[in-house]
Amino acid sequence: MVRKVWVVLSLLLIATLVLGACAQPTPKVVKETVVVTKEVEKVVTKEVQKVITKEVEKVVTKEVKVVATPTPVPEEPITLKVWIMPNGPDPLGAMQEEAKEFQKLHPNVTVEVEVLDWGAAWPKITTAATSGEGPDISQLGTTWTASIAAMGALRPFTKDEIAAMGGPDNFVEASWKTCNPVGSGFTVAVPWFVDTRAVLYRKDLYKKAGVDPNTAFDTWETFDAALAKLKEAKEKGLINAYPIGFPGKNDWNVLHNFAPWVWEAGGDLLNPGNTAAVFNSPEAIKGVKFYASLYTKGYTPPDVLELNSAQVEGLFINGEIATIISGPWMVKGARTPNDKGGWADSEAAKNLGAHEIPAGPAGRYTFVGGSNLTVWNSSKHPEMAVEFVKFLVSKDSQIRYSSNIGMLPAVKAALADPTFSEDPLYSVFVSAVEHGKSYPAIPAWGAIENVMVKALGALWDDVAGVNGPFDPDTMIPARLNQAKQEVDALLAVGGGQ
Amino acid sequence: MTVKSDVQISPKHRSLWQRMRRYRLAYLLILPTFIAMMSVHFIPTVLAIYMSFLDLNQYTLGKFLHAPFVGLKNYRMIFGANNVLTAGLQYAARNTILYAIAVNIGTIGVGLILALLLNREFRWRGLARTLMLLPWVVPTYVVGMLWGMMWLRDRGIINIILVDWLHLLPQKPFWLIGRNTLLAIIIPTIWRQLPFNTIMLLSGLQQVPQDLMDAAAIDGASAFQRFRYVMIPYLKPIIAIILLWGMIFTFFGYNIVIMMFGNGGGFPGEWGDLLMPAIERQSFRYWLFGLGAAVSVLMMLAMMFFVWLWYMVFRTSLLQESAKEE
Repeated sequence: MVRKVWVVLSLLLIATLVLGACAQPTPKVVKETVVVTKEVEKVVTKEVQKVITKEVEKVVTKEVKVVATPTPVPEEPITLKVWIMPNGPDPLGAMQEEAKEFQKLHPNVTVEVEVLDWGAAWPKITTAATSGEGPDISQLGTTWTASIAAMGALRPFTKDEIAAMGGPDNFVEASWKTCNPVGSGFTVAVPWFVDTRAVLYRKDLYKKAGVDPNTAFDTWETFDAALAKLKEAKEKGLINAYPIGFPGKNDWNVLHNFAPWVWEAGGDLLNPGNTAAVFNSPEAIKGVKFYASLYTKGYTPPDVLELNSAQVEGLFINGEIATIISGPWMVKGARTPNDKGGWADSEAAKNLGAHEIPAGPAGRYTFVGGSNLTVWNSSKHPEMAVEFVKFLVSKDSQIRYSSNIGMLPAVKAALADPTFSEDPLYSVFVSAVEHGKSYPAIPAWGAIENVMVKALGALWDDVAGVNGPFDPDTMIPARLNQAKQEVDALLAVGGGQ
Repeated sequence: MTVKSDVQISPKHRSLWQRMRRYRLAYLLILPTFIAMMSVHFIPTVLAIYMSFLDLNQYTLGKFLHAPFVGLKNYRMIFGANNVLTAGLQYAARNTILYAIAVNIGTIGVGLILALLLNREFRWRGLARTLMLLPWVVPTYVVGMLWGMMWLRDRGIINIILVDWLHLLPQKPFWLIGRNTLLAIIIPTIWRQLPFNTIMLLSGLQQVPQDLMDAAAIDGASAFQRFRYVMIPYLKPIIAIILLWGMIFTFFGYNIVIMMFGNGGGFPGEWGDLLMPAIERQSFRYWLFGLGAAVSVLMMLAMMFFVWLWYMVFRTSLLQESAKEE
């Protein structure tokens, strides 16, 4: 009885297939055919195991032939749900471009892109991680990866999958570290793009003030001297811009702005075993003190501490500050015409220079962040999801996507591409990546960063003189000691996990 | 016949079952609402109370309600003398109290003045009443962002008006840094809440019978006496409602502060932090969900205490109001 039904079904199918093949091959028809064939194939293999009549077998081989001629290797349609953050000026467009390229290789795959706001992403991803109903693929900030992985939501990549993507050496080291939570032994993510910081300055203003940009960023001392000279030039009326600008407490980047100075002074944020905070060491305090002194010495606009990153970038674009420490997206902005959301027409864009962050007593370090790609345990098509991740870390996609969003590729081969390595401005960021340091990949980092944002935010208020005249020797250690206690308590919550 | 007997026996004297049968349709009609309210209010509240006894953090979140039961540990943490993880909550609590008092005095006081003005006959009254409503249609997070820009020291419109145009202050102060932050969050909140209170009070004023006012005037009551002894009693129930609403709104205030200081990224400072943002940061962003639940339960209890206090103060005028309607 069952057999009869299959025979009838198969015959019906052949009829539709033949009809479909005869008809104009509109994509819709082909797609429908594809689905059905697959089903029959499955059924048949099952039946073959149970030994069925030769008749049906014949029918099948015939039928596959028919399909094979008009379309190449048909596969069942797959929808991949992808969550990304607002990367670059056109987050959805840039990602859809990648999806389209991927579809050329895998016509049966539809990529559904959802752009999450950074603020809303945290609760949404946490909820997805606990409920087990997540996307197939999601972008995760480098500092979030270990936290989400600790919740067991991410599907680790196998050694073979990583090897197929070029192996660990294929990726920027600082980013790769964030994909392998400390002590877990798993690779839960693959680096996607890199965000790093370098000094951007106004060549024309430096020239007018008589500052040589070739030596200005050699050391902290030369940097300090250069800013002092720019300040003098402003006072004399030679230039009409403050030497430098950076945001205070009202910003996401509070810790990213402080961290390089701590590292350059020889300090660190956590101890080597990630069991306790060490950012209150004398070296670390020295670094914080130096960064804060740039404000107290009057190198910045007086109101700079109440601004956020975007507003400070605005000051630079408007020519109100001569120096800014920012990311590769500024280069992208400087080359995008004004009517397309960039600032290519401004004086700042025409005289833009870039250099790595000045080296400190313990060397040259810069913050490396960015985002990783993760495949979720809840994915129904993990193989295809990995395939898409593999595509996104391929050299072509890396170059295209990173330059579209104004970040750097996380794949070394793409970084070495002339698009970045031979560009006078991007190349500075590329070498900054080599001096890049990322935060420890531990689950508690997400929480720790929030403690630091609070402590350093309060410190900026101290610097601004909220609690009486700023005394760096007492106020900086006080804030950092308090934060250390909080961070140590948080590290103890997980029992040192 | 039955209908008649129903009217005669007041509902109070029937058994629960009789009443249920009598109002079967009514109960059926409110059933969906009841279920919805239970699922969105009651169940989460009970869950939150239970969560506050659990050691629920990022490592145990996967187990959710099966996380280790730790009794009152989370509550002890909050009241513990030197607990570093709750440091900073005291600033937030102080600010919240000051914020709630200032905003409610401001909105009810200024709202009353505006309502009295709008209650008079004048030429553009309709237009004025419409314009009055405008701040209310601005979502609170937009209020936070807009005022965040307006408060900027050197490029914000407020200092430009105060210092450059009106010369009210000798020099431009910081509004988003230091003690002024408290003012910087109070004033936009008043601005945002004023329309609601004004409209409510205006509707109250329009209930005051004109002949009563006329009679008081003939009896020789001064304008203030007419306001105090004729208008205020009519307004009392409305003041009660908007005070309750305003207290809840300010006590749980979040959007304006969060958006004004770094769009959710930064730290509002020791004079700008309120309880809700502080709790969100120090429990949920630190992934200490059990602690967060405990603080939330305490806030709920504090709010319930306030509501009880409120009810004691306004009970008589509220009862009068319902008596009047019957």
